[in-house]
Amino acid sequence: MDNVTMAKINLFAVLRNLEDLCELDAESKKIAEKLNIAVEFNVKEVGSAVIAFKDGKCTFTRGKGKASLRLYFTSPEHFNKLINGENTIPIFYNVFKVGFLLKEFTQLTDRLSYFLQPPKEKLAEYLKDRTYFEINTTLTAYTAFFAMAEIANYDYVGKACAARVIPGTILCCIGETGPAINFTVKDHKFVAAKGQLKAPTARMCFSTIDFAHKILNGQASSFGGMGSGDFAVTGALDMLEQVAKLLNVVSEYLA
Amino acid sequence: MELKYEPKKIINVDGSNKEFERALNTIPAGIYGHLGPSEGCMVPVNVYPKYMSKAKGAYIWDVDGNRIIDWMCAYGPNYLGYNDDEVDAAAAEQRKKGDCCTLIDPITNTFSEEVCKTIEMCDWTFFAKNGGDVTQYAVMVARSYTHRKKIVLTAGFYHGVAPWMQKLGYNGVTEEDLANNLYIDWNAPEQFEELCIKYKDQIAAFIATPYMHGNFCDNDTPHEGYWQKIRAICDKYGVVLIIDDVRAGFRIDIQGSLHKYGVQPDLACYCKAIANGYNVSCCCGKNFLLNAASDVAYTGSYWLSAVPFAAGVATLRKARAMDATAENAKKGKKLTDGLKEIAKDNGFDLSVTGEPGMFYLRLKNDFDSTILHQQWVAECVKRGVFFTSHHNHFVNSAISDADIQESWEVADEAWKVVKANNPDGHYIK
Repeated sequence: MDNVTMAKINLFAVLRNLEDLCELDAESKKIAEKLNIAVEFNVKEVGSAVIAFKDGKCTFTRGKGKASLRLYFTSPEHFNKLINGENTIPIFYNVFKVGFLLKEFTQLTDRLSYFLQPPKEKLAEYLKDRTYFEINTTLTAYTAFFAMAEIANYDYVGKACAARVIPGTILCCIGETGPAINFTVKDHKFVAAKGQLKAPTARMCFSTIDFAHKILNGQASSFGGMGSGDFAVTGALDMLEQVAKLLNVVSEYLA
Repeated sequence: MELKYEPKKIINVDGSNKEFERALNTIPAGIYGHLGPSEGCMVPVNVYPKYMSKAKGAYIWDVDGNRIIDWMCAYGPNYLGYNDDEVDAAAAEQRKKGDCCTLIDPITNTFSEEVCKTIEMCDWTFFAKNGGDVTQYAVMVARSYTHRKKIVLTAGFYHGVAPWMQKLGYNGVTEEDLANNLYIDWNAPEQFEELCIKYKDQIAAFIATPYMHGNFCDNDTPHEGYWQKIRAICDKYGVVLIIDDVRAGFRIDIQGSLHKYGVQPDLACYCKAIANGYNVSCCCGKNFLLNAASDVAYTGSYWLSAVPFAAGVATLRKARAMDATAENAKKGKKLTDGLKEIAKDNGFDLSVTGEPGMFYLRLKNDFDSTILHQQWVAECVKRGVFFTSHHNHFVNSAISDADIQESWEVADEAWKVVKANNPDGHYIK
């Protein structure tokens, strides 16, 4: 594992989830509704992203953009510390907007942690709530697959796997209408996006959110799911073979 | 091609699926490895028969009672036909005497001599169980002889599943496992020579299959003079030439696949067809490597069991007598020539690559996803003809003209179904 890839995952996979959190979770939606602010995160050696709140919606955009608050992190480690909840202060531009960081942003990231990193002793109880279960699974899936793209592009082992992936598109989905993430692969570089694709080069689909939850939490085997029909793969299977290898690396980073 | 036939029956595989469900409780992945749904690229899994009740000749019968024409031959071991009477009789006779004992049976020497007589380059033999056992052994012998560490592999390689034979990112494989591997493209002898110069006196062996018969891609035979160039570079730089003939052995040339290409390797690895399904593998070597080979510590509980040796003797004798390798290649050519024609009649452009005895199929006018090919293979399997989507096939001696005819008919019906289900395909007019 390397710090740059970890920071890319934290920025472009973990923090990216705020966008979906504000859609899926009523409490987060309520917080977002009151906001009209855009925050730009800049992490040395990693890149930039803008999280904007407007008209009750949250949008995450990769790269620099229009923002009223700009945060600068001097190193990947500096940013990783923030995501790990360690005491760290970014360098910021526009002191008048810092209140957002201390209040609403912290409330939202706490909410994100509630879904993505619940206390182990409380997890079973939380999962009994169907809404929690679905949000937990959806955000875990988004995190894993967006992280996978970062790993394919930047991690040493990930790049070795990506080097074996032919150009094309890959769709990973839960059911026909559930959450879906797609990848466009060109020159062995992965670009991840949300949404279905009509004719992907390769497709892997979990039959239900329940089975996706089991796979994402190591409670079921993808091979077993293939046999039972809970996990369907079609198309360029050699691409999916490498996706499976990349997801192994994801679990190392997100363990 | 004009084909007249009754609509084919779709096989029911409920029994197989039930067994698979059962297996998932106690066996990793249910069926692991290349015979399993994942590595076997069974799409969709639930239409494929997975468990057999018996096998004979060119056929397997699954647990649901369906008779299936098998063009995969257990991924290579079926050479003369499943449960060949002569081979089985020799094995049964040996079993009465003994199999795995403290003292070994002289049939070991008979089999060794039989292999030496059959394989042109072979001065001595070392027996094990699987292909990977002997490719591993061959590399150890090369290192023992040269006192060097590095080995050169070519793109599309498959030499078994020991960690060094796998790739970075594969489960259980570390970067250190691969530290002594060097890689070049297939059909690129100049790259090999560059490595020999760059890593002077460090390369122990060059290991490759006789031609590139990798999965998920058209198979690629060697360019004119390729093996001669590789042989010359090995000689020039003191590198041991290892041919992994595990898959292609006895499919191209009964005297060893490189015999066809006019070159002798220093070590050659066999398994699969060598005993028609009885479990034995063999590393064949040249005399100059005999002492180095003797000094390598390498053994296994069942490696000197006598029954497979008896089967191997019978297999090689029968194969030579009936010219099985050449005859199987003719059958492969006949089948694939017909398939190409039938494909064309249905608007499909079928590519057939590799050697005829182990042909590889791909639809050229498929979508990038290769989904039409996967659907066609699945439709054939549903009608009792076992092809596979992304691996080469194998031909055995028990295949008859009637089997080829039936395979053509099934292929025809399957292509018609695929075309009807995919009106947006790019079909040949």
